[in-house]
Amino acid sequence: MTRQPIVIIDGPASRPPGKAAIRRPRRGIAALRGVQGFRRAVQVTVALYIAWVVVDRAVVAAAGAMGASPESICPFGGIETIVTFLTAGVFVPHVHSSNLVLAVAVLALAFLARGAFCGWICPLGFLQDLAAGLSAFVQRNIPAAFRGMRALRRWAAPLAVLDRPLRYLKYAVLAWAIWGAAVFGVMVFRDVDPWIALLDIGRESIGFGVVVLALTLVGALFVDRPWCRYACPLGAANGLVARFSPVRLERSAAACVDCNLCTRSCPMGLAVATATAITSADCIGCLECVEACPRDGALELRIGLPFGNRA
Amino acid sequence: MDTTTNVRHPAARRRIPPFAYGILVIAVFAGVVGIGMASGTFQTSGRTTAGGERVAPQGDSVAEIKGWMAVGDVAAAWSVPVPDILAAFDLPADTPPATALKDLESDLFSVTALRDWLAVRGTGAP
Repeated sequence: MTRQPIVIIDGPASRPPGKAAIRRPRRGIAALRGVQGFRRAVQVTVALYIAWVVVDRAVVAAAGAMGASPESICPFGGIETIVTFLTAGVFVPHVHSSNLVLAVAVLALAFLARGAFCGWICPLGFLQDLAAGLSAFVQRNIPAAFRGMRALRRWAAPLAVLDRPLRYLKYAVLAWAIWGAAVFGVMVFRDVDPWIALLDIGRESIGFGVVVLALTLVGALFVDRPWCRYACPLGAANGLVARFSPVRLERSAAACVDCNLCTRSCPMGLAVATATAITSADCIGCLECVEACPRDGALELRIGLPFGNRA
Repeated sequence: MDTTTNVRHPAARRRIPPFAYGILVIAVFAGVVGIGMASGTFQTSGRTTAGGERVAPQGDSVAEIKGWMAVGDVAAAWSVPVPDILAAFDLPADTPPATALKDLESDLFSVTALRDWLAVRGTGAP
């Protein structure tokens, strides 16, 4: 006998409205008391570790000794070399076995926790968060900056139609990076990779990767996480695996008060407030939307079967 | 009301507390890296072995050639005169043998190109 699924109707009748459950969203420093404080602590710890590796490498290299390459802690190197590793058993230049282990860690995380690597661990994502925070701070404290940003947003509003197609660019970058490494035996993406530019900042001359890094950080003053949204190939690989993840954010239409705070707080620009389940490959699992939600139970992380309840 | 999107298997209703999600993130990431380190797979440099000894090219496989290796060491391991390598890639003839391969990289020369060249040379092809 086939077991029938339980039918739960999300409607006003299934859950009485409870005004006491609506709470004022925490802002500024107060927001760090919740899970965002935990997330920021993880991001800061990882960023400090990366900074230590970069400085250590610069000191070791200056002393003429051998040390670990900063690039050896780049997860994307493991993905770039995947074809050469599987077909010939070799890594492309600049890739070590640590890159492969990190790539496995990132993809395992993508399956179990969606884009959490991007939202919780990636230092480049954290730097973009810092740039966005700086922009928000300046706008709060300098009225002219606020007015300027508002005018810029109005002027750029028609460009919003480009947002969705541009998000597919990162999949093209991913395909190009893997194809290039497989065909030419070198990391073709390396020269434009802002992450590599950041890791090598103490020892490399200024290349195009530094320019991309600078553009990313300047862009983050105006658009949240521009690199993650449009160009990051690691985020693209993450998103592809995350499609099979059993974990997702779910929004209860019955509990939702339609305040739109979740959508406004999403650094990836996802329309959380109108979805039933947030299954987008672009979700970075930062939980900013959950933290911003004023109604307990309206937006929750849930585990279930992959591909279920898509919105 | 469209109830089709609200049909859920009981397992789909299990809530994950945000802090538990954060702990899961750290545990999975650190767990995989930790397993890699414990098994000796997590090598951050090809220059030294897990025991800290310097790795030198042996001439067994072109795949072992890395950018940090000196052109002289590679030449010795594959029994190829350094001037032959320099001439094959139009590199300056006065290049010191101690120069790392990665420092010689240009449009005409790369570690991959050297691997291919040595592989072809090893088969006796012209």
